[in-house]
Amino acid sequence: MLLKTKHYICKLDKFLKKLAKSFKYWIFIFCLISLRFQQPSNYDTNAKIKAVFLYNFTRYFEWSDKKKTGNFVIYVVGKNDNLITELKTLSGKKKVGNQDIEIKNSFAFDAAIQAQIIYLLPDVSKAIADVSSKSKSKGTLVVAESPNACKTGSSINFVIVENKLKFEYNKTNAVKAGLKTNDDFKALAINVE
Amino acid sequence: MSKWRNIIKIFTYSMLMLCMVNGFAQNDKLNRAQQLLQEKNVDQAMLAIDSVILHSETKGDFVSWTTRAYIYFEIYKRTDKQKLNSALRDTIIFSLKRSNTLKPDETFATNNKKLLSNLSAGYFNLSKTLLMDSINYKRSVIAYNRFKENFIIAEPGTNFTARDVEYYLAVGSLYSDIFNKNNKNTEAQETAKIALLKVLDMQPENPSANINLGIMYYNQAVNLGKELDYGASFNQIDIVQENIIKLAKQAEQFIIKVYKVDNKNVKAVEALHSIYKMLNEKAKEEDFKKKCKELNIKLD
Repeated sequence: MLLKTKHYICKLDKFLKKLAKSFKYWIFIFCLISLRFQQPSNYDTNAKIKAVFLYNFTRYFEWSDKKKTGNFVIYVVGKNDNLITELKTLSGKKKVGNQDIEIKNSFAFDAAIQAQIIYLLPDVSKAIADVSSKSKSKGTLVVAESPNACKTGSSINFVIVENKLKFEYNKTNAVKAGLKTNDDFKALAINVE
Repeated sequence: MSKWRNIIKIFTYSMLMLCMVNGFAQNDKLNRAQQLLQEKNVDQAMLAIDSVILHSETKGDFVSWTTRAYIYFEIYKRTDKQKLNSALRDTIIFSLKRSNTLKPDETFATNNKKLLSNLSAGYFNLSKTLLMDSINYKRSVIAYNRFKENFIIAEPGTNFTARDVEYYLAVGSLYSDIFNKNNKNTEAQETAKIALLKVLDMQPENPSANINLGIMYYNQAVNLGKELDYGASFNQIDIVQENIIKLAKQAEQFIIKVYKVDNKNVKAVEALHSIYKMLNEKAKEEDFKKKCKELNIKLD
């Protein structure tokens, strides 16, 4: 009786060995999966936040009648591909009043481009004073992203406070640029005079 | 008087004979069951062996229980291998356990162990199938725990830490992938987080768990940014920024642990660059940008 069972066990052994092989195979697969790393997203959240800020600015300023016709131009000077992508997406989704939003970009300032907002990126921060003086009384909101930009002529300047993007505001510069605004906006900003 | 004595004698002999015949009959049944098993007539073998294990003469014999396990195993192979809950599998395990309590000889003990190990392997394979093919973590973890329960009987003293780490890392990795593809699937995110935290309970410095958990928090922060409406108010922007910062700092905590142990870990360096960029920490961002260049990490 024992012999019969032992004989059967031998036959079964082959099957069990096969099963053991597949067990080892799955352990190997688990090892491979467990060693796989996730990939950090390359999406630029700061570019998105800046785009949302820029769109918000349009709600708090009043441009001259002349600037209320045609497209609402946001002119970005300097290099930031992610920001341009975000602004272009924004322009496809939002309007300023009845005006379509148009995004223009160049690496150096071009005075021939008529815009409602000029955004000077950090790599062109040296041009702030020049651009601000050329934009005086033209109803153009100059936004910058560099230390002391509001003191060198920009109306708005992006700053980082405790990891957060915030903005400084110089009302005098905005008035000089020919823009009307209200005190609500002042309350939202870090004021610089 | 002598008449009665004769009657009692005859009755006693008859009873003894009956018991012996019955005992032989049971042994014959066991023999028959084994014969049927060899002939692959397992349904008949099952009927025979089920009567064998009920009889007092044979129920205390380890051969009966091991034979029963093998007979049921043949049926199990045909129909129940892919089932999480299988009465056949339960019967095999019960029979093997019973056989083991009856002090089997070395050959039977070894083969009981083999069959039990392989049933455990079956549970392990099932846990993999349920996880990777069906994406059913709840059922997969049941199968995985049953694998451990049975394997420890076959191989007492087995340390499962390494296997647990692999299993939960696989769960974490798979469910992080699902969450990264669909950031609204918070159940997947929770499953991944719990699995990866289990790994960190066992191995606090585990690089895969730390990096995957850190990147999951980072990607969650990215998703908040992506979902931010272009028309959001300053107040809404502020709330989103707060949450992004919280998540990015949580991500940093996990990744920095890996970086401190291995400052050339490509994934850690790349992730820290992204985190410091998100946190607007320019000096650190630049520092890790340089490290990325040194390690030939391409940045978008």
